[in-house]
Amino acid sequence: MALSEAKVGRLMEIAQVNGPEKIRKFLMTLGCFEGENITLISVLAGNYIVAVKDSRYAIDRKMAQAILLV
Amino acid sequence: MIKIALAGNPNSGKTTLFNAITGKTEYVGNWPGVTVEKKEANLKREFKSYSLTGEGHGHGHGSQHDHGSQHGHGHVHGHHHGAGERKHQVRVVDLPGAYSLAPYTSEEAIARDFVTGESPDVLINIIDASSLERSLFFTTQLLELNIPLVIALNKQDLVKRKGNVIDTERLAALLQCSIVEVVANTGEGLKTLTAAAITSAGRKTQPAPEFAGRGSLTEDLDRQSYVRQLTDAVLKRGRNANELTVSDRVDRIVAHTVFGLPIFGLIMWAIYALSINGLGGWASGYLNDVLFAKIIPNAVNGFFERIGVHPLLQSLIVDGAIGGVGAVLGFLPLIMVLFFLLALLEDSGYMARVAVVMDRYFKRIGLSGKSMIPMIVGTGCSIPGIMASRTIEDENERKVTIILTPFVPCGAKLPIIALFSAVFFPGQTWVFPSMYVIAGALIIMGGLLLKNIFPFQSSSTFIIELPEYRLPSLKHALSQMYRQAKAFIIKASTIILVMNTLVWFMQTYSWSLHVVEDPSASVLATIGSIIAPLLIPLGFAGWQAAAATLTGFIAKENVVSTFAIVLSASDDALMSTASPLVNLFTPVAAFAYLIFNLFTPPCFAAIGAMNAEIGGRKWLARAIFFQLTVGYTLAMLITQLGTLILYGHLAAGAIPAAVIFISIIAVGIYLIRKNRNQSLPGGQ
Repeated sequence: MALSEAKVGRLMEIAQVNGPEKIRKFLMTLGCFEGENITLISVLAGNYIVAVKDSRYAIDRKMAQAILLV
Repeated sequence: MIKIALAGNPNSGKTTLFNAITGKTEYVGNWPGVTVEKKEANLKREFKSYSLTGEGHGHGHGSQHDHGSQHGHGHVHGHHHGAGERKHQVRVVDLPGAYSLAPYTSEEAIARDFVTGESPDVLINIIDASSLERSLFFTTQLLELNIPLVIALNKQDLVKRKGNVIDTERLAALLQCSIVEVVANTGEGLKTLTAAAITSAGRKTQPAPEFAGRGSLTEDLDRQSYVRQLTDAVLKRGRNANELTVSDRVDRIVAHTVFGLPIFGLIMWAIYALSINGLGGWASGYLNDVLFAKIIPNAVNGFFERIGVHPLLQSLIVDGAIGGVGAVLGFLPLIMVLFFLLALLEDSGYMARVAVVMDRYFKRIGLSGKSMIPMIVGTGCSIPGIMASRTIEDENERKVTIILTPFVPCGAKLPIIALFSAVFFPGQTWVFPSMYVIAGALIIMGGLLLKNIFPFQSSSTFIIELPEYRLPSLKHALSQMYRQAKAFIIKASTIILVMNTLVWFMQTYSWSLHVVEDPSASVLATIGSIIAPLLIPLGFAGWQAAAATLTGFIAKENVVSTFAIVLSASDDALMSTASPLVNLFTPVAAFAYLIFNLFTPPCFAAIGAMNAEIGGRKWLARAIFFQLTVGYTLAMLITQLGTLILYGHLAAGAIPAAVIFISIIAVGIYLIRKNRNQSLPGGQ
């Protein structure tokens, strides 16, 4: 299941991050990679608000589809 | 000399700290990516004392710890002033934020290049304590550079609010560096921090953290697991990070799919209404109509007549310098109120949400929400706005953003809007907001056009960190206001004053350097007359309008001051309904003139910034040509259609206008076709 289909407010584990290497590397530095936890906080204005390691990020649909959950 | 570099994640408070310890007032905002270039300044004298003063909590390690106990509270100041002063000059370098040493965007690369290439004596790594784990990833990379490092643990108040506790002493021991808890906003702990930094600088080396897998292919992963161990050892979590916070609830309203945009519109409208019709507008009206129009000129004229100064010199000073600069300075209160309110809004953390709300709309034109940040910054000045485009990763998106950002009316354009709306549309509050609505429409349409003219393969991915909301600081807003006011006054008393003197000379003298009776025989009039014919299809008759537009390219405020000088023959104040401006423009043409000056290429300084950021002269030429065409076409359409609809007759220059309009459309269609044909065979 992709993050874009996740249920709001539930702690999930990342199975895989797809997409161009540059973006994957960037997400990795934020702590968004295989085996880490992620929570979808809300879906706002077409963007996905996620909690990763104590911080909040807004990511667009394309990126949310590239993050696969366990 | 000791060189201290400030490094850390975006929005961790580097520039706030930099301002506090150097006394500078660099641009600060509560969103990631405000600082996009490195800034340098000397450490303030009060921070140069070597001793620990006992203020704040310093958790030292190793040699630094010993130092702390040696000095204590006693002999603090004094032993370091005097002869050693110069030798011990301390430079502080503020760097753009970065999440790691492997840069994702170009401003992150600036930080990387500095810490790895210019070997500072000591690094202050600012950590947002509320995102400790993420921050430590970058910290462990910085520790490997063998440059003494001191951690400034910032935003502990947020940590405590979450019910978390960080064992600072343990962390300092594990990382083998000093850690100082600071509150950059209030200045707490900063003396301890700078003392620790200066002491550490003498150490010359920095032990690197040891973890399995360093230098291997899976280094990033191994580093992350090391960072996790560190965090688990020192951070006690009182609350789950995934619980819904107040910020999350606010986000659901202000970044709402439907209400997000209207809320943003309402907030901006309120800010401009308060600045322009409220206190700022009232004070500006007083300065313009009374102080700079009557009191000061009358007093100075009276003084000069009494002492018998040559009338020409009197005219230069009163009409040229005071009239021109006064016309601009009169708008100072308006600009101060505006920037005060904008600083409050920026400090709250709302601006990152605006990027989220706008992302959808920008996606349609091949951009992303990231392009909103340069445009918000551009409401102050286009130059930092254009530079803020560095936070955009995709090159094409960056170029388009640079071309579109100057369409946002900057602070220097506000006096033009204020002048024309006071003279031609008194009491009508729609003029100001309409400029921003038109700017928004032009950005969308301009973006669509650019997307169709140039072969853009936009890869727009959007990700932005959302800082927690906080109560805006009054002190911060006042200091940002002061920064803007200072810049405005400096500009008015240098570049605008010089330009006004020049304008006065050019309209007083003919080419043969004789004083002219009729200004239309002056140097300025002949220069204005050269481009005046080009402006006839736009409904602007006479050399004055042309001259004002030309001087506007030096600085946009000059449009106002040039009118003040060339129309000074009249006794009526420039900014009134009886202004001599009404002889030059019909209200429709006045609106078009406003549009023309707002949406043609920006001032030369901003064009310089475009040149530096856009990547090549070819793109600069395209950008300027595009901006000129957009502004010209829109002003022409407003004059021609407006005159026909509102006054029921054709405007002057209707036939050339029609010809020009058709040619522009034809060129546009040709360029779009050409792009389609090119991109089809080679496209994906």
